[in-house]
Amino acid sequence: MSNESFTQLVDAHYTPLYRFALSLARREADACDLVQQTFYIWATKGDALREMSKAKSWLFTTLYREFLRGRRRDSRATSIEDLPPGEQDIAAEEVDCVAKMDAAGVVGALQSVDEIFRAPLTLFYLEDLSYLEIAEALDVPIGTVMSRLSRGKAQLRAALAREESAAKSKVISFPGARGGKQA
Amino acid sequence: MNNTEAKFILNAYRPGGPDAEDATFRAALDQAKSDPALGAWFAREQAHGSAVAAKLREITPPAGLREAILAGGRVSGESLAAKPATAARAFWNQPVWLAAAAAVAVLLVVSVSLWPKRAAANAMLTDFALVDALEPQNHGGHGDATGAFQAALSKDTTRLAGAMPIDFGALRTNGCRTVSLAGHDVLEVCFKRDGSWFHCYVARVEDFPGARAKAEPSFTQSGKVAAVAWADGTHRFVVASVAGRAAVQRLL
Repeated sequence: MSNESFTQLVDAHYTPLYRFALSLARREADACDLVQQTFYIWATKGDALREMSKAKSWLFTTLYREFLRGRRRDSRATSIEDLPPGEQDIAAEEVDCVAKMDAAGVVGALQSVDEIFRAPLTLFYLEDLSYLEIAEALDVPIGTVMSRLSRGKAQLRAALAREESAAKSKVISFPGARGGKQA
Repeated sequence: MNNTEAKFILNAYRPGGPDAEDATFRAALDQAKSDPALGAWFAREQAHGSAVAAKLREITPPAGLREAILAGGRVSGESLAAKPATAARAFWNQPVWLAAAAAVAVLLVVSVSLWPKRAAANAMLTDFALVDALEPQNHGGHGDATGAFQAALSKDTTRLAGAMPIDFGALRTNGCRTVSLAGHDVLEVCFKRDGSWFHCYVARVEDFPGARAKAEPSFTQSGKVAAVAWADGTHRFVVASVAGRAAVQRLL
């Protein structure tokens, strides 16, 4: 693959890949490592992929597998038995709540969602992959993707509510507010 | 299809998304149009999803990531032309190397003319430290063992260049940042002295043979990074910093 083609590939995909990696790994440095590792694997194996149209899907799939591979050492994957209850109806004010939050707060809420739901949920919101491609990337059936989206959204809403509540509870103290005299 | 089933399917629908026209959603979308309650739920769901997606799009990668990927990709391509893929991959087992790869190649060339000759094992470790110390955004460890080691390194009274009280295995398994260099683990701990950051790299002597197991401190300077390397019979150490050679010397 020529340098020019590689640059084009990186420019086209490294930003959404980083967002996905940040959601999974939670730390900026780890997310960077994951993205770099993904492109490194592409640089060493990507030529074997004949259909360039599948490069995007391949990159997301590879990043996710690398994340799982790196995490396996301290594996604490959520078991299926731990799945929380799913669908709850969304309230209109929750939409406003998200719109008013900053991006870091929303990502923080997303990062607190159980990993088993977080991966499909992030790919869903990134809007880079179709749900069929999400299923392929995560190596689960389509129905499982839909189920995890439903449950993941419920967890995300709860996490967003906690984020908002935490933001509201922050107290700003003023000098001398405790009754002390200012010089 | 009842509304519960329709909601289940519509949860995966993104208007304007890559599968907006997928036939899977058609029946559920039609039902949302004809059922006011389902339609209201769907509208709120879509608004919420759009708001989250918009926030996610505000996240931008850190500066330098693109350049690191491109540099790593070029080096990978070049090394692949000369080596079997498996050999190249083993060397680049840890992603941080991608960022360091291009710079290491340059440093290796420069070292031939500018640096004192050093045994290959020490050179590899030191060269890595010289580059990695410039990439602190890749650093970061955690765990009690790491914290204790970091605290020891940060103490003004701790003199380096001798034996260090570390348990390599415990550090590696309990959260210390670990990179793979030529297939062997290298630990890295950041510490601060007199307001400057230093980076201590530790490897096992047996993993990097070819140099003396006990070695006196030797200094290396490359650009703005200074490093000192030594070995205590069990471990090889390199401490690198952009604080300058004098600051590194004061650690000894």
